Amino acid sequence: MRITGNVAIRYGVVIAGAALMAFPLLYLVSGSLMSAQDVIASPPHLLPPSIHLENFARAMDFLTPRTIVNSFVFALSVVLLQLLLGVPAGFALAKIPFRWTTAMVVLFVVPVLLPNNVSIIPTYLITRELGLLNSYTGMIIPIVGQTTFATLLFRQFYIDMPGELFDAARIDGASWFRMFTSIAVPLAKPAVAAYACVSFLTAWNMYIWPLVVAPSEQFRVLSVALAPLAGTDLLRLVPPNVSLAALLISLVPVLAAFLLVQRWFVKGLTGTGLD
Amino acid sequence: MAQQSAGHTAVDSRTSAGKKRGPGQASPKVGRRRGDALAAAAFLAPNVAAYSLFVVIPAVAGLALAFFEWDLFGSPVFAGAANFAKMLDDRVLWTALINTAQYGVLGIAPTVLGGFALAVLVNAQMRGAMIIRVLYFVPLTMSVAVSSVLWSWLYQPESGMINSLLGLVGLDGPSWLSSTTWALPALTMMIIWLSLPLVIILYLAGLQKVPDSIIEAAMLDGAGSWARTWLIIWPNVRPVTLLVVGIEVLNFLSAPFEVALIMTDGGPLNATMPLSLYIYKVAFERLEIGYANALSMLQTFVILAVVGGIWFLRRRKATRT
Repeated sequence: MRITGNVAIRYGVVIAGAALMAFPLLYLVSGSLMSAQDVIASPPHLLPPSIHLENFARAMDFLTPRTIVNSFVFALSVVLLQLLLGVPAGFALAKIPFRWTTAMVVLFVVPVLLPNNVSIIPTYLITRELGLLNSYTGMIIPIVGQTTFATLLFRQFYIDMPGELFDAARIDGASWFRMFTSIAVPLAKPAVAAYACVSFLTAWNMYIWPLVVAPSEQFRVLSVALAPLAGTDLLRLVPPNVSLAALLISLVPVLAAFLLVQRWFVKGLTGTGLD
Repeated sequence: MAQQSAGHTAVDSRTSAGKKRGPGQASPKVGRRRGDALAAAAFLAPNVAAYSLFVVIPAVAGLALAFFEWDLFGSPVFAGAANFAKMLDDRVLWTALINTAQYGVLGIAPTVLGGFALAVLVNAQMRGAMIIRVLYFVPLTMSVAVSSVLWSWLYQPESGMINSLLGLVGLDGPSWLSSTTWALPALTMMIIWLSLPLVIILYLAGLQKVPDSIIEAAMLDGAGSWARTWLIIWPNVRPVTLLVVGIEVLNFLSAPFEVALIMTDGGPLNATMPLSLYIYKVAFERLEIGYANALSMLQTFVILAVVGGIWFLRRRKATRT
């Protein structure tokens, strides 16, 4: 009896914690299905008294398909281009004897201490000097240049990979390029998956950079479109149920990806890409 | 760089710092060859070029611009230390510094301790735990923009869920985001919620390294599991705690930036203005690029001082014990 009692308490606490963490999402989903009056009703409704799917159509009018396409273009380009830069560099820093390896690693680690807002001003200035404001290139390439996470993640991945694999290939006379393409890349799938999940999420959720560097309507990404819906003013152009529906639309790709490949997110976030 | 990526790079640098040379790198029986340096350079070159252009050069240029006056349109005019002298009379700067400290003081401890407690809870092997665990990670998928919009609805004074729930227990909730007293704690609360999943994930990884017998003894033994968690498991995850504290210090110095920009625009009356947002406004609204870069230097200095301070305390504690 004592044991079942404890298990019940444990379940209770675990579920209560989960409810607390997930409550805002429940509110979001529920509110996105309600009528405008029901969202602001007092006392509040936890579940929608009636279902209003037309909120999503109105949210799409507000968001526009172009914004969603922009978000995909931005996030996918950042992930793909950073892979092209990060995998070979991580491999080189882990496996190829090079006298500057330590210095390079330090160079990549230092900006971890620089917060977003400190780097954004000079990065904006250089993008402006290059004439890339209000362009996809200007949005994407400077973020691609922030290769620290990709480089260090792949370096760690290759460090943890047994060296004998490469020693044998070297003794057989394989070039580093050959070893990279036929051993290192094919074996990197877990690290690529972990990296891609986390970086896609990060890029998809970026707000301030796209806002500053490409403010014109045609380059607007989801975060930039959604942020004005917050704030304290009560005179809103978009009703709350439509706002919440818009938020849910922007969440669908990342929620779906997260539910499908949760383990890769977790591996990417713990940094090594394999455990 | 977003909050999460600062997190993992910190994990990386920490795990790799101890090993200057990986197990497979330049093992003595194979040794260096002539093409090695060339190959390494070729593999690194595109990455280093992009990184230099968009990270290193901007950082150096930012340092230099702190000594100039520039409104983005004319050409920069050398101003010596004028931008630094200006800080002394800047009232908003002092408010922003105090607010930044408040975000950290209110947010860091609950995030670290709460993340640990939740990790211990969901680490338990029980039926259905995997499904429930996903719910703890929900905030991970939400951007600052999405959660800011969502939480500003939750915080609505009249119809918001939070005040409605407070009303059920007879409490009269404030108008959270327009109160100079409650706005900053309200934003901090949301940042804690956003930050918890990463902390839970790091502690979960740490808990896998603690012997099962210790965790079972602490958790499955009925009464006193609270005390056992803190007296037995907590000391065993100390290395994770140090890492998490470092990550969260950086997080609470930078996350309030976008949150305050979106939810309150730093108001009311600068009550939620963190240093990071103030710098952004000086640069992009007042177009005082030189002063903004001088303030960025100040912020970097503050970060180095705090991180250095933690490192120093940790060293001192380590030598004492």
